[in-house]
Amino acid sequence: MTAFLYYGVIFSFFFCLLALLGLTLRTFSFGNKKVRAAFRGDWKKGVVYAFGAGMMPWEKESVRQHLVTYFSGFIYHFGIFAGIFYLFLSLWAFSVPILIFKLIQILLLSGLVCGLGLLIKRSVYSSMRHISCPDDFVANILVDGFVFLALLDILFVGIQAYFWGMAIILFLYIPVGKIRHCLFFFYSRTLFGVFFGRRGVYPKERKTSRV
Amino acid sequence: MPEKSLNKDELLEKIDSLSSQDHEKILLTFKHSLTSEYAAFLNTCAHCGLCADSCHYYLTDKDPKSSPAYKLKQISKVFNSSFDLVGKRFPALVGAEKLSNKLIKEWVDTLFGRCSLCGRCTINCTMGINIPYLIRAARGALASVGIVPLGLQSTVNTAVNKGNNMGILKEDWLETVEWLEEELQQDVQNPEAKLPLDKLGARILYTINPREAMFFPLSITAAGKVFYAAKESWTFSSENYDVTNYGLYNGDDEAAGLLSSRLIDTMHALDCRELILAECGHGYNSNRWEAPEWLNRNYGNEVKSILQLIAGYIRDDRIKLDPSKNSEVVTLHDPCNLVRLGGLVEEQRFILRHCVDNFVEMTPNREKNYCCGGGGGQLSKTRFSERRIQAGRLKAEQIKATGAKIVATPCHNCIDQLMELNKHYKLDIEIKTVTEIVADALIISA
Repeated sequence: MTAFLYYGVIFSFFFCLLALLGLTLRTFSFGNKKVRAAFRGDWKKGVVYAFGAGMMPWEKESVRQHLVTYFSGFIYHFGIFAGIFYLFLSLWAFSVPILIFKLIQILLLSGLVCGLGLLIKRSVYSSMRHISCPDDFVANILVDGFVFLALLDILFVGIQAYFWGMAIILFLYIPVGKIRHCLFFFYSRTLFGVFFGRRGVYPKERKTSRV
Repeated sequence: MPEKSLNKDELLEKIDSLSSQDHEKILLTFKHSLTSEYAAFLNTCAHCGLCADSCHYYLTDKDPKSSPAYKLKQISKVFNSSFDLVGKRFPALVGAEKLSNKLIKEWVDTLFGRCSLCGRCTINCTMGINIPYLIRAARGALASVGIVPLGLQSTVNTAVNKGNNMGILKEDWLETVEWLEEELQQDVQNPEAKLPLDKLGARILYTINPREAMFFPLSITAAGKVFYAAKESWTFSSENYDVTNYGLYNGDDEAAGLLSSRLIDTMHALDCRELILAECGHGYNSNRWEAPEWLNRNYGNEVKSILQLIAGYIRDDRIKLDPSKNSEVVTLHDPCNLVRLGGLVEEQRFILRHCVDNFVEMTPNREKNYCCGGGGGQLSKTRFSERRIQAGRLKAEQIKATGAKIVATPCHNCIDQLMELNKHYKLDIEIKTVTEIVADALIISA
């Protein structure tokens, strides 16, 4: 059973990677629009801004206005990454310093709390339900379950099979629904930086230009 | 924009009569406009909802349908059902929905009726999704079967067929220029002052918003006065002078490209070196940024806003200004297409600081400004005019908070909307273009 799950996790992980690669190829099959307009700013600086200051509360009004949601999302994602990290530790029985384990536990627990909070928010607010579809709930529940089982597996014995089983389901689901944004986030954010960078909007420069 | 013939039921009836072939045409046009960028955006939205409070429509009506994520979802439904494997196999799971007349009505209501393509949601989106460009692509798909609010489509048609969006006849334009030239001569007290037409080899070709010729002729004289003071070599075209491009708003790339090509081709035909765009937000975005892509030609730096030109005059000391001539408190409204989407952020501030005594900023300002509600072709769509005025409430509150008596804005669409907001929200303000304020501050040497 353990061997079956072990190979199941590895298989599902590679399936996930391949499926995401397929999605990437499908996306690029739509073709690219060649940018013809002469640049006014620096697109590279725009990209740096997009992944840096452009995501910070002092720059972004939506973050300032929704600090709890924004940081819940942040912590949630750290919890997920901690869960995946722990999954690979458990697959290959790597040992790590106890401090790292403690950190993983904290990230998993706080990630779980935040994930459940976001799920409740989506369920309770009419404005959120209007923009949601079943996938939004399924994805959240699957990820919460994965994080929860990772935490249990650290704390108790006899949980590993459930944890690995959940990991298989999660990896198989990632390319199906909204969790695919784990890949597209980086592309979209880069495009944001390029767009506003070349137009000279971001990063902000408080001076006039001759072009 | 003329709207007398707009009939709400007419558009809905037209949608009801759409056939499956029409649906296919919409899908084909939509697919044709999709790029890897747009496809990536449609795969990225995590429905976090953080964009909602950045939208002036949502903030003023609190209707979930006004949330940018909801608008994007209407497009994703079709994208997922037609171009995504999971959406095709498990539509209920990912909210995919085949294009239907019911969904097209929802597209019209949300994409035409609840969005001014201002891009404020994009800068506030966690993922950075360019929502207005996706909405424009969807609008273009609807335009392919004639599903566009009549006022918007007739504005495009008038511009395409008559050379300018107001349908001004050539003889009327020539007469207007002649009359305004006399006004300029009196103003600067020089009978040699000119508003040149079709002057070969002039350094710049200047364009206007046709509304200036019809309703705001003094803004044309103001530009002429600034050029006169700067001893600029410039000209109007007798044929192609319309800076506007409502093809940006109905999503029709072909019409949009045609309108922009007239200007850039006229610039070359008259052997001018620069195409100077009058104060027009979407005109700047269209002609400076989008047209090279619509036309598949490499250019851009020779296309400038008059704001850049005037800022240059001030830097190079080509014009003298007396700020005390504008002693009232002046604030500035940033047009979305010029600032957030166009990148012209500081020029208008630089100019105003040189020609008014008391300049105050709105909050928020620059690329974070609120749309006044007049963009996205909203001024031409009377079926949504109540929403437009409601969506402008934020702008009205911003203006009130500044205590300014004069609102400067480098965009004639914004001016029209601000004039309506002024009346509706009793702001008691005067609205001017930046060039008009510069002209008021000019010191004309003998």
